[in-house]
Amino acid sequence: MPTTSSTVSVSSRVLVLGLGNDILTDDAVGLLVAREVRRRLGDTPGIAVRETTEMGLTLLDEIVDCGSLILVDAVQTGCVPPGQVHEIGPDDLPQVTATSPHFVGVGETLALGATLGLAMPRRVRIFAIEVADPYTLGTQLTTAVAQAVPEAAERVVKLARSWM
Amino acid sequence: MDETTQKLFNAGNLRANAATAAQRRNITIDPITRLEGHGKIDIYLDDKGDVERAYLQVPELRGFEVFCRGRPAEDMPQITSRICGVCPTAHHMASAKALDALYQIEPTSAGRKIRELVYNTFMLEDHALHVFILGGPDFIVGPEAPPAERNILGVIGKVGVEAGKRVIATRRRLRDLIAYFGGKVVHPVLGLPGGVSKPLNAADLPQFRQLAQDAVGFAQWTLEIFHQLVLGNPDYVKLITSDAYTHRTCYLGMVDAQNRVNFYDGRLRVVDCDGREVCTFAAQDYRDYIAEHVEPWSYMKFTFLKQRGWHGFTEGPETSIYSVAPLARLNVADGMATPLAQAAYEEFFKVLGGKPVHHTLANHWARVVEMLYAAERMVELVNDPEITSAEVRRIPTAVPRTGIGVVEAPRGTLFHDYQTDERGVIKSANLIVATGNNAARIAMSVERAAKGVIKAGHVTEGLLNKVEMAFRAYDPCLGCATHSLPGHLPLKVRIHDHNRQLVRELVQE
Repeated sequence: MPTTSSTVSVSSRVLVLGLGNDILTDDAVGLLVAREVRRRLGDTPGIAVRETTEMGLTLLDEIVDCGSLILVDAVQTGCVPPGQVHEIGPDDLPQVTATSPHFVGVGETLALGATLGLAMPRRVRIFAIEVADPYTLGTQLTTAVAQAVPEAAERVVKLARSWM
Repeated sequence: MDETTQKLFNAGNLRANAATAAQRRNITIDPITRLEGHGKIDIYLDDKGDVERAYLQVPELRGFEVFCRGRPAEDMPQITSRICGVCPTAHHMASAKALDALYQIEPTSAGRKIRELVYNTFMLEDHALHVFILGGPDFIVGPEAPPAERNILGVIGKVGVEAGKRVIATRRRLRDLIAYFGGKVVHPVLGLPGGVSKPLNAADLPQFRQLAQDAVGFAQWTLEIFHQLVLGNPDYVKLITSDAYTHRTCYLGMVDAQNRVNFYDGRLRVVDCDGREVCTFAAQDYRDYIAEHVEPWSYMKFTFLKQRGWHGFTEGPETSIYSVAPLARLNVADGMATPLAQAAYEEFFKVLGGKPVHHTLANHWARVVEMLYAAERMVELVNDPEITSAEVRRIPTAVPRTGIGVVEAPRGTLFHDYQTDERGVIKSANLIVATGNNAARIAMSVERAAKGVIKAGHVTEGLLNKVEMAFRAYDPCLGCATHSLPGHLPLKVRIHDHNRQLVRELVQE
């Protein structure tokens, strides 16, 4: 599956970043939502849409210099049905994952960037889609998760436009 | 109860247990973890309340073989580099080497050197990430520091903002070199059977020469920091050498013709717990030397030395259990191929009491020694007149059948093994990843840690951290062991009494 990137520059005001693995069934959902967002937005000036399959610290390279950040990713809490979209604001993010030295999370990445004097986004919102199967190699989303893509994309588009 | 009723009862029971477990779970939604992926440890107590067995379980990635079957072998370097976001370059390179073997073709000299340049750059970058970000909170900040400081910000607090900037900036430049040749780091398009896809343009060479030179300085500086903060602290040294983190096993790693550490190519060498050579072998013969043992409680395969036979999770002169990763590589080698790394290697064994070193936590130091080698090797390669040659690939013509490729990944020896039909279409594919090679020793470490903190049914505070440290030193790429998602694994410990009833559950997010 080809991974495409928008040509909008990094310093755009709003960055929509899809995270995931495109060959692990539902784990691709963040990437697919980003693609749908790109399709709906077309070439909207001031909004960049990108995808990445990388993890952890690489996020720092991706988000530096963007004014506002919208992340889209898969999550499995087991508490809600697959396909449900969690929306998480900065207040819900642990700034530092105190007991997990082996992990660089979103909150920690933002704090690290700020400590190092890098330009970090002023606004952050995360859309996390509850998934059913992120452990089987495959390139098709499960039904409930696939059905969630349009709704998630619409919510991302709305927010991105409102942040411009 | 009749059989049908019993089955229904059991199924209902399972669902009820799952629902209860789900309710009790302490959930933090942080999408970079992305998926639950708990590392699970099940501890079973005997009737006195002491630990009978402790088992580590990790999430399983399913369907690798099915996914690969029927695809052209040439797709494997891309597929396998995408299954693990932590060490994509290691999978990519092992896979490219498997394709060389499959098509019975040697890469051109320049093609091989470019692969080696990219690979050493990757090793340096990944090791730096581990030293400063993953292991740093334990070693640079300190194992006894308050939990709130044991993270990357605590590391920056210790080494300073300027040093933090240096780590981040160097890491980025190293990744830019990898991307120069392969495009995206996670989806590299570099290794092809018989060579690589892109030469190094002479006009771009000066920037890479500068990078390699800076990389040596960066590795030396890392060793200095390690000296000041870790070796200068007697408590750390005591912890490294403590019995709790020591296992007398065999070691496996790749060496060059002079038995020096090599990450990209060479023969595999095994030494026993006294440092004596047990065997050396070529990658394609690995099935004669390595076998896999299965336990009923885990889907993980525990590798062992085939010619010694499986003797259980034992250590000492007769053990067939071996370990891989930086410490193992230093233990199997007679030295390092570059001067600064050689000096660091000699100091390592001098301070830790001679070869082999059995202290698992010494992996952190061994990693710094290897950073020096990787950086010095980069300098050698970018100054090699052949590195800008346009002859980067040989076109294969042989009929494919079997291809085995091996590299030393940051976390240890990585095997890729493919069978194809005569058109090069995959019939079967098997990987033995570093953590699989380490699985038996990790199981021993986890059990020992559990026995140390649970006595007569009493669970000492700090159990999670002590048990986690026991397997963290191997570098926590447990997801990779079962081809699952990489990254941090929140730890869940379940303690069962002698009736196999769950009595306590602890979760570390």
